[in-house]
Amino acid sequence: MKIGVLKESKTNEKRVALTPSAVTKIKKLGYEISIESNAGALSNFFNTAYEQVGATISPVDDIFKCDILLKINKPSHDEIEKLSSNQTIISFFSPATNSDSLQMCSKDKLNILSMDSVPRISRAQKMDALSSMANVAGSRAVIEAAHYFGRFFGGQITAAGKINPAKILIIGAGVAGLSAIGTATSLGAIVRAFDTRPEVKEQVESLGAQFLTVNLDEDGSSSDGYAKVMSEEFIAAEMALFKEQASDVDIIITTALIPGKEAPKLITKDMVEVMKPGSIIVDLASQQGGNCELCEKDAIVEHHGVKIIGFTDLPSRLPSQSSELYSNNLFHILDELTPAKDGSLNIDMDDDVIRGMTVVKDGSITYPPPKIEVSAAPKQAEKKVEPIVKPVEKKSSVYPAVIALASLFLVGAFAPASFMNHFTVFVLSCFVGYMVIWNVTSSLHTPLMSVTNAVSSIIIIGAITQISTTDTVSLVLASIAIFIASINIFGGFAVTKRMLGMFKK
Amino acid sequence: MNLEILNMEVVRALYIVSAVLFILTLGGLSNQETSRKGNLYGISAMLIAVIATFLGPQVSSNYGLLIILILLGGSIGLVLSKKVQMTEMPELVAILHSLVGMAAVLVGLVNFINPTQDYVGVEKTIHSIEIYIGIFIGMVTFSGSVIAFGKLSGKLSGNPLMLPAKHYLNLIMILAIIYFGHSFVSSSSIENGYLPLAVMLTISFFFGIHLVASIGGADMPVVVSMLNSYSGWAASATGFMLSNDLLIVVGALVGSSGAILSYIMCRAMNRSFISVIAGGFGTESTSVASASTDQGEVQAIDIDEFKNMINTSKKIAIIPGYGMAVAQAQFVVNEIINILKTKDIEVIFVIHPVAGRMPGHMNVLLAEAQIPYDIVYEMEEVNDDFDNIDLSIVIGANDIVNPSALEDPNSPIAGMPVIECWRGTYTVVMKRGMSTGYAGVENPLFFKDNTRMLFGDAKESLSQVLTLNN
Repeated sequence: MKIGVLKESKTNEKRVALTPSAVTKIKKLGYEISIESNAGALSNFFNTAYEQVGATISPVDDIFKCDILLKINKPSHDEIEKLSSNQTIISFFSPATNSDSLQMCSKDKLNILSMDSVPRISRAQKMDALSSMANVAGSRAVIEAAHYFGRFFGGQITAAGKINPAKILIIGAGVAGLSAIGTATSLGAIVRAFDTRPEVKEQVESLGAQFLTVNLDEDGSSSDGYAKVMSEEFIAAEMALFKEQASDVDIIITTALIPGKEAPKLITKDMVEVMKPGSIIVDLASQQGGNCELCEKDAIVEHHGVKIIGFTDLPSRLPSQSSELYSNNLFHILDELTPAKDGSLNIDMDDDVIRGMTVVKDGSITYPPPKIEVSAAPKQAEKKVEPIVKPVEKKSSVYPAVIALASLFLVGAFAPASFMNHFTVFVLSCFVGYMVIWNVTSSLHTPLMSVTNAVSSIIIIGAITQISTTDTVSLVLASIAIFIASINIFGGFAVTKRMLGMFKK
Repeated sequence: MNLEILNMEVVRALYIVSAVLFILTLGGLSNQETSRKGNLYGISAMLIAVIATFLGPQVSSNYGLLIILILLGGSIGLVLSKKVQMTEMPELVAILHSLVGMAAVLVGLVNFINPTQDYVGVEKTIHSIEIYIGIFIGMVTFSGSVIAFGKLSGKLSGNPLMLPAKHYLNLIMILAIIYFGHSFVSSSSIENGYLPLAVMLTISFFFGIHLVASIGGADMPVVVSMLNSYSGWAASATGFMLSNDLLIVVGALVGSSGAILSYIMCRAMNRSFISVIAGGFGTESTSVASASTDQGEVQAIDIDEFKNMINTSKKIAIIPGYGMAVAQAQFVVNEIINILKTKDIEVIFVIHPVAGRMPGHMNVLLAEAQIPYDIVYEMEEVNDDFDNIDLSIVIGANDIVNPSALEDPNSPIAGMPVIECWRGTYTVVMKRGMSTGYAGVENPLFFKDNTRMLFGDAKESLSQVLTLNN
């Protein structure tokens, strides 16, 4: 089947759905790939690079004839009109807020797979473009803040005076929040993070940030992997915390989003007013109304000297990286959809992941999908318990010593003197062996075994003392014993020598 | 011709020299530098002992036959040692153990039918017991080693033999051996002793077979060391029988060596010696394994990504299992290491005590591939250090890197010390497919977020890495 990649039609969009390295991988699944000319130019993937990996550069009209169309942004109404029978589109679609497009697509046996409807289960992580874009956005949010912030992030002590490190508050420790924490700490800032889900504390701390909590016991985890809406008391406590922090920190980055709902208002006007002039707020929820009361979509608002950044195109501001991640997500989806690797698409509605992201199948709307429970949250809770099994401790008991003493006494009481002599030698030898063997390095245990093997053939001495017998049966048996023991002596020592010769520094 | 040049006192003195040299032999193995000298001590000790006996008063005729037999056996031994593959070492050691066992049986029999000394009273009883025990240990060593050889070389199935009521079977055999032991010791003449001895030989022959046959493939390292130990005790018992202190000393050295190795192997699997002998690792655990729930999805990678991970790492730990040796991948690994060295990437090997099929086997296999021993580490030396390791590569290993040993108290391998590679940044597991290891346990490592799976033949995959790196 043929895959077509369209140049993104949205203004200011610099990303491309498929990069040349993903083309290589997708071709292995058996597909032919056509790309609209200069589709990747803004993210530094040029036509020649695509041609080198075997994709064809085709005019737009030809792309629209492909069986599968790959895009990033949801298709515009113009684009939907150009679609014809049996085509499949894979792109972001926002089916919940985009019902008119959804209606338009319910025609001509179209299939629409929505990238933002990939269920948040661990198996689907590699296909989750929302996560990979959130990762880019989180990191870029810090860079945008650094760009507009008039100071260093890291502290220094210079001849001209001391430079205090920037203090950053990150609200929401999801994918974007964690990515922002990582970037901010590596720039040297003091980072604090807040999240309603207590189980992310460990992850936040592992990235070098401080985890803030309110003094109220309420768990914000939910079964779908997102945070849930909290109680009123909790929100009140939370807002008090934010207000207190606002007067202290230089930068606030908010990432709080609850799917399908308007973003919660976490930073109010009076919080902005207590911030120091020159402070920055980056609002990653501005697409859904913003976490900050004053935020405006795709704009920078200045209030009391505080800049509030509401960009919604952060992933597109790192176009090469975002395209690379997005096209890897696409590859993993196509890999799932092409179980036979023969270049033919199989939309298996019994598969939870594929079912979840398919919003139109054969021209009829299949959104919303039946709810599936996500294991992510309970699993994480389970992780924290982590029972550590200790190796069974061998209790040292006095019984063996008592038994040994008793049996020694018995032997001494009944055995004749000649036996006791040998017995003394035997017991002492066992102890010498015990002391010597514990010193043997474990890497030489195999040579140890082969050499002890040769050594135990000392039994040949016994057979040699029997060789001078006149009894024929005895002579034959002793001869065999000498013969096989010699095999052992020569073989054992020679193979040990061979092995030891191999050990080189 | 009579070569009785040395009197018995001189022979004894030489035996002392020999015994001391044997102790030095084992002492020499404490590190790689002195180990070669240690082997030379062993050879000289054996030479001194044999020559002293040869020239001593106990040998008075058949000198020519003796020399021919030694040369004949010796040349077979030399050929064996030249031909053996390093992967086949456990088989070789097993079959050589069987020879020691057989020699002990033969020496015991000759001593019985053709006694050199007359004993009376308690001394006679003790001597009879010595003969009986010596022959018994020798026979069990012999038949057990033959079965171990069959299992290790794949001629016999590696699965444990599960006879009904096998513990009772063992008990009955032991009781029978004790019973016939009593009638053997109390028999008035040599002729009366033949029957109980023959019955005991037969029973102990089957006892040895049953003992080893009922032990599973995963426990083979323990079995090999256990037989090593038996061969020593057999020599020691023969020493008692012949009133020869050299045999007693040397046998005891070997016996305790094998016992310690068995103990180390048991500890490495967190198993008691009794439960190993009782047999059946992997049989009781299958039910647990199948009950494990869906653990999520593994993340597979291809050669290009693997190569990328290698090249962006600063410190790499390679964790080899026996699967690496089966694929003969260690030679390719060595070539890769040499290339990585030129790129300033540090590579170490981490070895689990039961990684091969006998104690220290993996070290020998790596040494054969000329991997320098100073980059080969023991599990305990590295486990606390995985924070500093960017990439762990698991080649052909499974159970020894299974986190459920530490995390899941219900796991059949719970409590077994394992290599904790998941504490490092990334782990790549090279594996043919998703099958379980010897213990039949699911491995949660494969499903961890920082684990990547590279499916396919290890040697082939590594060869591809090599060509990509050049």
